[in-house]
Amino acid sequence: MSNAIELAGVTKRFAKQVAVDNLDLNVPTGSIYGFIGPNGSGKTTTLRMILRIFQPDHGSVTVLGAAHGKTADDRLGYLPEERGLYKRMRVGALLTYYARLKGNYNCRQHLQEWLARLDASDWVNMRIDTLSKGMAQKIQFIAAVAGDPQLVILDEPFSGLDPVNMEALRDAVKLLRDRGNTVIFSTHDMEMAEKLCDTIFMIHRGRKVLDGTIDAIKSQYPANRLRVRFADPHRQLPDLPQVMSSDRQGRDFHLTLEDTSQAQPVLNALMRQGELHHFEIIKPSLHDIFIEIAKPSAEELAA
Amino acid sequence: MRKILTIAAREYRAMVGTKAFLFSILMMPLLMFGGIFAMDALSNTGEVKDLKVVVVDHSDKLFVPLKQAAEAHNERLNEKIKASQPDQDGSPLANLDKDDDDGFGSMSKGQRYHLEKWTGSDFNNDVRFALSDRIRAQDLYAFIEIPADIMQVDFEKLRNDPKSLPVAEFYSEDSNLSDARRFFAIAISELVKAHRLTGSGIDVETVKQLSVPTQVRGMSLVEKSSSGEIVEAREKDDLSAIFLPLGVMMLMFMVIFMASQPMLESVLEEKSQRIAEVLLGSANPFQLMTGKLFGTVGGSLTILFIYLSGGYALAAYRGWTEYIPLDLVPWFLVFQILGVLFFAAIFMAVGASVTQLKEAQSMLLPVWMLLMSPLFIWFMVIREPNGALAVWFSFFPPATPTMMVLRMSTSATIPAWQPWVGLLILVLATIICVYVAARIFRVGLLWQGKTPKLNELLQWAFRG
Repeated sequence: MSNAIELAGVTKRFAKQVAVDNLDLNVPTGSIYGFIGPNGSGKTTTLRMILRIFQPDHGSVTVLGAAHGKTADDRLGYLPEERGLYKRMRVGALLTYYARLKGNYNCRQHLQEWLARLDASDWVNMRIDTLSKGMAQKIQFIAAVAGDPQLVILDEPFSGLDPVNMEALRDAVKLLRDRGNTVIFSTHDMEMAEKLCDTIFMIHRGRKVLDGTIDAIKSQYPANRLRVRFADPHRQLPDLPQVMSSDRQGRDFHLTLEDTSQAQPVLNALMRQGELHHFEIIKPSLHDIFIEIAKPSAEELAA
Repeated sequence: MRKILTIAAREYRAMVGTKAFLFSILMMPLLMFGGIFAMDALSNTGEVKDLKVVVVDHSDKLFVPLKQAAEAHNERLNEKIKASQPDQDGSPLANLDKDDDDGFGSMSKGQRYHLEKWTGSDFNNDVRFALSDRIRAQDLYAFIEIPADIMQVDFEKLRNDPKSLPVAEFYSEDSNLSDARRFFAIAISELVKAHRLTGSGIDVETVKQLSVPTQVRGMSLVEKSSSGEIVEAREKDDLSAIFLPLGVMMLMFMVIFMASQPMLESVLEEKSQRIAEVLLGSANPFQLMTGKLFGTVGGSLTILFIYLSGGYALAAYRGWTEYIPLDLVPWFLVFQILGVLFFAAIFMAVGASVTQLKEAQSMLLPVWMLLMSPLFIWFMVIREPNGALAVWFSFFPPATPTMMVLRMSTSATIPAWQPWVGLLILVLATIICVYVAARIFRVGLLWQGKTPKLNELLQWAFRG
């Protein structure tokens, strides 16, 4: 499979601050690629370099086969977080404008198709500032695909959407992928990233800290957490040398082990204490991994 | 190019396709010129006031004739009111060199004066204070103190000290601007003059007849038509000498203002709503800025077309078409377009540098001063269109568009090289201005931090 995006040794500085540091990244064509990272980690700068808004100081950015240049690429569509729409324009005029800016001058049918798909056909003559947040988010999505792009970059596309609209938009993203488009989306919603993305990329302090499929990433993090429930709700957890820490949540105990090999000895020890109703080895979620990486270090907390 | 035109078309529609645009098209001339006509209209519609004035006549010679003059004035005013014709001609132009038949000008209309003689024996500061208190209590409008020697004049002393002439004093709350003071000043002056003439054995009526002023008519220069025939000079008037240059300059100023201000708001919206990111992902900063400037120029030409059409229709209606300087139109258009480009680029750069309109306003203060500078000196310029001030100011790029057309719209002959040099300077300045603004625009559009300082702006402009 060829790559839609290839970043090699990319560095971008603003004054003395390094926003992106020696970043390598390959986004396969036709995939949904999740960009995650805390605020200020270099996510937006990376997206802007892909969009040709910024030029890298070092390294190369190749998008859809074209090495970095200063000309905006019409094959890319972009949805910025929450905003990005002229408030006083009408929906139809705005979408036509965005399509034409991307060189799609005969866009009527294409736009009608997307408007119908997202139940927005009746909004064509409405002004943007009269739309609800969810409606505006849908129009933003259509604006991003108005130019019929091969690569779509979506920055927090699901914020402000109710579950029904979220589902509609998620289907739209999947449809793009099924049609062979590449989708990059940046999000803080780890659950959504896990559900939707084929591959996840995490940037932290300008450096890549995660890159791969969800399963591959999770396999890098040990499944050293247990959830345990005794049949007797009054039974206390015994002191076990393999358990690093424990936490009671309702009737459940959450235990963190020194390593994954300790699960069986712990189970044996707990069964000797009394009848167990529940014993589960918890795989780390993307959320857990994100927190694990992004949380301040002990030195930072002390400082 | 197609992207530039797409951007230009949106900017154009965003500027002219709104109700606010129609409103400002209507309101702007009212704001600019309304004051002139409003003052005239208001002076004709105000109510007639009865003003009580105490006269302290130490000379004991002027109260009676003053009272008669006031009564004659009141009588004429009453007749005018009865005829419902407070003024014979409503035009401010018509009144510029016309005196009312009472000899006191049109400013005294609308007030009736009721004189009361002060009859006490000792007029001192206590009495002045008591009369002042009556004025403060609205019981009295004013009091006039006429010195005993008002009729006397020592010419020898006057030659050495022009201030030695006896002076009457008018006390009121608005004595500086008072129409009544003007009325009594003229009346007292005329009465004293008549007294002096009579005292010298000269007949007052004869002097009046012999003193009819001789007119010197202002004429335009004689010209030759394109067919070689001599075109006779025509009498110059205030319309062509003052109002035409003023109108031309104000029109250019209005169009620059109306075209540049929306650019600021448009860029600010694009920045604050993160539209800029979408745009910069679709077009480069050069295309974006050029498209916006094209749209602005298109908008400005629309405004110009509306005003020029309206102005022509008005001129045709009033029979003033001969005053329209058609040969100025090409110059006007070129300077107008360059002026719009120059200032719209600055407004865009400012819009890109800030995050709120409030911050933009303080940053725009010096720009406003530049744009408005011709308005402060226009009268000096039309009095002396080839004077050093006018010439040098018309080569100062921010003022060049308005100053040059202001000078060219006067009847003075501007050396032929000057508009061309002015144009060259303005073209160069506009190119530099657009280039610098584009670089600030490019960086500023994605800048979300604090408002940059001047050195940071320069850094954006020259280092990118």
